[in-house]
Amino acid sequence: MYKHQNSQGSGSFSWVFQRVTGLILVVVMIGHYILMHYTPESGHTYDAVLSRMQSNWYRVLDLTFLVLGMYHGLNGVWGIFRDYKLKPWQTITIMSLLIVFGLAFTLWGVKTILDIPYVQTSTSELL
Amino acid sequence: MSEFKKFDQKNWVKTNLNYKKDSGSWAWILHRITGIALIAYLFMHIFSLSPLSQGRAAFNEFMSHYTTPFFMALEWILFAFVLFHSLNGVRIVLVDWADGAKYHRALYRYSIVIGLVMFFAMGYVMFSHEIHNLFK
Repeated sequence: MYKHQNSQGSGSFSWVFQRVTGLILVVVMIGHYILMHYTPESGHTYDAVLSRMQSNWYRVLDLTFLVLGMYHGLNGVWGIFRDYKLKPWQTITIMSLLIVFGLAFTLWGVKTILDIPYVQTSTSELL
Repeated sequence: MSEFKKFDQKNWVKTNLNYKKDSGSWAWILHRITGIALIAYLFMHIFSLSPLSQGRAAFNEFMSHYTTPFFMALEWILFAFVLFHSLNGVRIVLVDWADGAKYHRALYRYSIVIGLVMFFAMGYVMFSHEIHNLFK
């Protein structure tokens, strides 16, 4: 049976998941753009971010957006590399770099989101 | 198999530029370019938002560099990349899962038209403050 030299299994799961995550990202991206550009302040000031992040729903949404975006992006990059005939050492090197940098930056982003403090004042005051 | 020309991996830019392109070929090329740009941007985005951990003063000082007209123009170009990748991504899903192979050229044309309209609409939203100041 034919087996792709760089793949474990058929890869059909990542093919489906790439489309599913893509559709989710399109929907969340619409909300992201409305929030970030509705007014010049809404996307670019600390207070706007702070007041949004008082809600755990926003935190969960942002974390989901971050993780799905990173997965979709790096899986896409891996898909591009898979189009070319790679030697085993190249496969291992590229995979390792994608995983290491992907994990490092995802954790950095998670830390940034979770570091935002919960404040005592009501959110309407901050807006 | 002998009638097929061997793909020249060393000169792949030249090879990719030489073959005859349908709208789908351009969609494929642009989807890759925008995709690579967007994942590069995501890494930059995580880096550039990290001063959030240092509090209000540090973050606002950091962000003041990114609200200049130059960076706003870059953000608008970024939106063009997001738009193309999103609309073409939806087109890919329709082709794969909704019989879209029969009308993929029409889908491509609709994506371009919808994309252009949304691009200029977003331009107005992003620069509305500046535009209003111009006509005061």
